[in-house]
Amino acid sequence: MKRILKIVFVLLFLSSIGNTYAQSDELVNVCALGIGNATYLKDYKVKLSASSVSPPTAKFNVILNKGTLYKFTVCNAEGYSGEAVLTLRENVKVLGSNLKADGSFLTGLGFQCNKTGMYSINISFKGGKAGAAVAILSYVNMK
Amino acid sequence: MKRNWLKIVFAAFIVTLLLQFGCKGDGSKSISNDIEIPDSIFNDKPLMISKEAMEDIIDNISSPVEMAALLKSSGVPFSQKMLASTSRIDDLNTNFKQALNLGVYGCDLGYLNMYEKTGSVITNMTAIKTLSNELRIGQFFDFSTIKRLATNNENLDSLMYISVSSFNNMDEYLRQSNRGNISSLIVTGMWIEGMYLAAMVAKDAPRADIVERIADQKLVLNDLILILKNYQNDPSFVDLIAQIEIVKKEYEGVKITYEMGEPEAKEVDGMLIIIQNDKQHIDMSDETLTSIIGAIIDVRTKIINL
Repeated sequence: MKRILKIVFVLLFLSSIGNTYAQSDELVNVCALGIGNATYLKDYKVKLSASSVSPPTAKFNVILNKGTLYKFTVCNAEGYSGEAVLTLRENVKVLGSNLKADGSFLTGLGFQCNKTGMYSINISFKGGKAGAAVAILSYVNMK
Repeated sequence: MKRNWLKIVFAAFIVTLLLQFGCKGDGSKSISNDIEIPDSIFNDKPLMISKEAMEDIIDNISSPVEMAALLKSSGVPFSQKMLASTSRIDDLNTNFKQALNLGVYGCDLGYLNMYEKTGSVITNMTAIKTLSNELRIGQFFDFSTIKRLATNNENLDSLMYISVSSFNNMDEYLRQSNRGNISSLIVTGMWIEGMYLAAMVAKDAPRADIVERIADQKLVLNDLILILKNYQNDPSFVDLIAQIEIVKKEYEGVKITYEMGEPEAKEVDGMLIIIQNDKQHIDMSDETLTSIIGAIIDVRTKIINL
């Protein structure tokens, strides 16, 4: 009996993972609708637990190309209080963030890349709250 | 009685689970009846670099759509003859050949979408469908929607989005299911094809921005070789690595230097844009460019004639 209950518990857990995947895919689709006149390139899905000590951060490396205007669009998942803070870095140098100095958020952050190289997209949640979000990387056709 | 009840609950969960995972990444909501045997069963040799590091490297490699976008924004006219023929699909009889060529056709799809050549998209998608089904990843492509969007020439942004995100989802799935060998081949095929398209343009009429993009892809080459070397126990990979090493050798003549500057923020059309004020300088002779173009064309020719 206990063994069967354990199996059911594991299946329930796996089932919730399946649901999370489906929800995050849906959020990507919704978020991609909001990129405006840009063309979708990649998406980054993030789900982080709450932490008051050291807010966890998800880091994604990406090569960005010279001469391209990139756009980062962030969408927060419903059901979580956390608001995603996206920070673009080149090594340790912070290039920009969607979090403004007054504590409000930008819906889209542009980056005019003038140097092909490795950059990192860092995503955490404001105040170390638990959160789930999707960030879309797209490029804006300027010509 | 209690045992029967538990069996029913157990069976219900199994069915629910199968339905949920079966739907993952499948825009068409169809559920495959095929039972998939993960390649990891046959491919369980330890990797030289960690799975996480490899995923990170694959993620780094730029989307082939960016190369197509550069060609179009530079005023390069569309050229069907540059694209890989889809007539040899039946000859691609191993996963190695199929995955490399799927990458090639994936890049061509981005190029066709970029130039809004929706008529040719259907032919290209047919090849992609065949190869992805052979590789047991066809469920990630919503072929009927792509075909409808292409046939009706409607909502080209959606066509591009569905095409690119299908490849992204497929790549994510391959890596999660320990089929990084297939993923690395698709990425390699895409990168080589993107470079080939740029090389063919640069060969006829070298344009500064395209030549610079070819040159700065030197950064990607080491990463590409690193992920392929994970699978060098496979003789097919050894040949491919050797070909790409030749390309790398030609890149030795490319020198890239940087001038540092402080980024500034500007608001353009209501969007905050960070302008990077670093400068990149490329030093590459015409001879080096010619050698790189030749090496890229050689590798691509071998891939499409496997």
